[in-house]
Amino acid sequence: MASAHTEALQRPALRPRPAFSLRRWTEREGVFSWLMVIPPALFLVALVGYPFVYGIWLSLEDRPVARAGVFIGLGNFITDLHDPVFWQVARNTFVYTFAATALKMVGGLALALVMNQEFRFKNLIRAVMLLPFIVPTVLSTIAWMWILDPSFSVVNWFLIRWGIANPGPSWLGNPSLAMFSLIMVNTWRGLPFYAITLLAGLQTISPELYEAATIDGASTFARFRYVTLPLLKPVIFIVTMFSVIFTFSDFQLVYVLTRGGPANATHLFATYAFDVAMSGGQFGLGASIALSMLPPLALLIAGMAWYMRGEKS
Amino acid sequence: MTVEKKGWRTRTLKLWLPLGFFMIFNLFPFYWMTITSLKPNSELYSRKIMPLVVYHPTLKHFVDLLTETSFLTWTYNTMLVALVSTAISLIFGVMLAYPLARMRFAGAALISFAVAATYLVPQPLLFIPLADIINRLGLGDTLTSVILTYPTLLVPFCAWLLMGYFKSVPHELEDAARIDGATRLQTMFRVFLPLCTPGFISAGIFAFTLAQNEFLYALIFLTKTDVRTVPVGAIAELVRGDVFYWGQLMAAALLGSIPVAIIYSFFVEHYVAGLTSGGVKA
Amino acid sequence: MANIMRAASRRDVLKIAGLGGAGALLGANAGRAATKNLTFMHESSFIQTYDDFFKKTLVPEYQKATGIAVDYQLISVGSLQTRMATAAETGNGPDMTLAFFNWPFLFDEKLADVSDIADGIGKKNGGWYDSAKEAVVVNGKWKAIPFGNVGQTMNWRSDWFAEVGVKDFPDTWDAFLEAGTKLKKAGHPFGLELGHGFGDNHGWLYPLLWSFGGREVEPDGKTIVIDSDETARAVDYCRNLFHAAILEDCLGWTDVNNNKAWMSEQISCTNNAESILWFAKKQFPDIAEVTQQSLNPQGPKGRFHILAPWSHAIYNFSPNQQASKDFLVWLMDPKQIERWYASADSYYAPYLHAYDDAPLWHVEPRNLPYRDSLKTSHLPGWPAPIGRAQAEAVAKYVVVDMFAKACTGKSTKEVIADAAAQLKQIYKPG
Repeated sequence: MASAHTEALQRPALRPRPAFSLRRWTEREGVFSWLMVIPPALFLVALVGYPFVYGIWLSLEDRPVARAGVFIGLGNFITDLHDPVFWQVARNTFVYTFAATALKMVGGLALALVMNQEFRFKNLIRAVMLLPFIVPTVLSTIAWMWILDPSFSVVNWFLIRWGIANPGPSWLGNPSLAMFSLIMVNTWRGLPFYAITLLAGLQTISPELYEAATIDGASTFARFRYVTLPLLKPVIFIVTMFSVIFTFSDFQLVYVLTRGGPANATHLFATYAFDVAMSGGQFGLGASIALSMLPPLALLIAGMAWYMRGEKS
Repeated sequence: MTVEKKGWRTRTLKLWLPLGFFMIFNLFPFYWMTITSLKPNSELYSRKIMPLVVYHPTLKHFVDLLTETSFLTWTYNTMLVALVSTAISLIFGVMLAYPLARMRFAGAALISFAVAATYLVPQPLLFIPLADIINRLGLGDTLTSVILTYPTLLVPFCAWLLMGYFKSVPHELEDAARIDGATRLQTMFRVFLPLCTPGFISAGIFAFTLAQNEFLYALIFLTKTDVRTVPVGAIAELVRGDVFYWGQLMAAALLGSIPVAIIYSFFVEHYVAGLTSGGVKA
Repeated sequence: MANIMRAASRRDVLKIAGLGGAGALLGANAGRAATKNLTFMHESSFIQTYDDFFKKTLVPEYQKATGIAVDYQLISVGSLQTRMATAAETGNGPDMTLAFFNWPFLFDEKLADVSDIADGIGKKNGGWYDSAKEAVVVNGKWKAIPFGNVGQTMNWRSDWFAEVGVKDFPDTWDAFLEAGTKLKKAGHPFGLELGHGFGDNHGWLYPLLWSFGGREVEPDGKTIVIDSDETARAVDYCRNLFHAAILEDCLGWTDVNNNKAWMSEQISCTNNAESILWFAKKQFPDIAEVTQQSLNPQGPKGRFHILAPWSHAIYNFSPNQQASKDFLVWLMDPKQIERWYASADSYYAPYLHAYDDAPLWHVEPRNLPYRDSLKTSHLPGWPAPIGRAQAEAVAKYVVVDMFAKACTGKSTKEVIADAAAQLKQIYKPG
């Protein structure tokens, strides 16, 4: 078989070939790859790269809606630096991202470990677990509006019934509780994504490793610590990276629940930029707020990547 | 992780208890959505009764939703947009992932980095300039505007996922096909891609979910009821002035997610398998 | 059920409207430059019958009278500003549009000057309310024709107020505080929004500030005067009111919450448009019976209300500006507009004195405060002139957060200093 093929290759061509063949050229690894890559790359350049550069330009302009823009250099950013609300928004976004990501990581891992076991209806339960992720966020958040209403919240109901507190905590009215509530809702929504991806990761760990560890006398916890965790680290990193990007730029949850209140306690970069640009009609200033997201985000990702590099054995 | 046969006590502790906890945590809001959608207004607003029980369930909210609003139009729009943008994203994802995963070429690192960087640019940063571009192209209030912009969110993830998956496929079959005289394109289409179905399902499901869930671009680009998707349609139409039509909103939430969840239950095995062979390997 | 107009573009809509108007050619002017169609963009109204009346009654009437077909384009609630911005930015869109708040200023460069017809309409109808001009006159020119005010007044539960011995609605803020204290103790707190909504928070917080004599900025639009004793007194009052009478949750409320709270009988008083009474009459008649509406309480420096103006503007890129002006004049004629106002009960309070005693005000006497409040209504940012700084200060919730932060425990001095610093930045020249 092989010899027949190689013979065919070695047999000289019967027809004279042109000096340059389009077909042969496109078969070259480099050319083929670039031809493949160019359409999507162009698409991304047009719809992400160009708007991004335009966004940077906007942030350097004084650009009210429906009027021409005037270049003002770093004026918008200086405005932002002197804006106390801007700093509060920055703090809020960091707190929100860190807390929610930590909760999702721990919770997601726990759920993945639990779902990694064998039990009836495993598939059905896995699909059902994904529901918070599937349902349109805006609509589930409206349900949360009701759940977090002190008059209707089940938690408050029980607290009142048992005489512990009346009327019960104001989940979205009290500034600290409001941030807490938002973190919980974000965790609720994002946990399935973590869990399902970590579950996949768990399933790549070959059982022999566990058996070997058990034979060596390792306890359940030690197995987890020395076998599971190290092998999961790359997965955890990837998922966390995506999750941090999503959470840092979150908009929907806050927009529906509190629009940034009470007193800016839950305002994030995305919602603040939206208010300034759309309600205030200041595109340049709004763009500068949105752009401010990029350096911290890039640093976060870079930091995580550097941490991972150090971990690679 | 194997389950040790130490009896039902351990199993309860390791499995049923934590599972139960997560189930309640995950599903409680859905229970809430269900009972809200079935409660008549008089019960809904009453603070005196136990909120977790429905005394006189009614299907009125569902009926009103389907007959008096454009919910079906929105669902159609959402499905159309999600399917088309997922398809576009998968195609572009393959076009990026195949060369990056299977070939060596000058500039590969640059492309790789650029795609990753694209993902770093978050939506709230882009919506202002994108709104301008969409307006200038005359695409405001068309489904094309979102079909065109959603892949910007989906392509990088699809590319990453598919890249990981592609890397794990052995080269032998492709090499054999090439030796047989097949072109690279033919090899890709006839030999390689059919092997990667789990990866496609994986990426496709994730992309579809993100697309049908998207809110910000839809809010900005789609302002007329006939072109809206479910997330923005529900918010805009089921909220009149400062009155929320809660029952209908929750009915919309359920009708919008249960069918998708059912589809998922068929694919979730593949989804996990796709992730397993693909991106989650170190 | 809705037509599935997949990927409908504005141009498609105009084409369809054009085809619809073709039948009117029989009676129309045969001149080539004559307008056949006009597009009129509106936000979906809170009251369905209002939109229906325009589409089913006014449009055919105009067509019969002039042969011009008016396409009434409805935009979903909350999207009007976005659509107006789109049209302004691209120079492509409807001929006429509804506008809210100070948007005639924001889009002023793209709106036609309608001072001529405004004068005429005013003269014909007993004159415009002064407050109406606040929102539409930019640099001395009228950029929109005021249509109606969706005012905010105090909604209160007459039964619960009576239980604590208060028969008439408190006339002063001090009496208001007294009543509120008693009511909260009786388990019926006030539900006055302090969060990031648009109407129900501004509806009482700006009037509170003004009635104590405080203001953000002087009429010159430059001098920030929020840091004053009057403001401090208003802030202190608000803090006392919050602790004594208001539900804690109100700090995180948006405009939706008080409607919900009213129907679930959680609160005894709130600031709102006519939507609560309207909704209650339809769904909860028992509650509607004891729902009353009254003017805001007055402070040492007067009684104030918030202006929430809806107006009609014409884009200056429209090729049909004269036809649009003619349409608006026809629309604002009492023969037409009175019926249109009435179709929405009195949800949109007319800005013309001719309607001060119109029949629409006698349908539901409880709505009269919405008419009476017109005299003392002002835009957020008043007395500063209409402008971008005004819009920015509102978008950043400067005044609302000042009060809210005081309620969460910050000192009066601190919150006023913060607000002053923000305003100085926002109103900075250039």
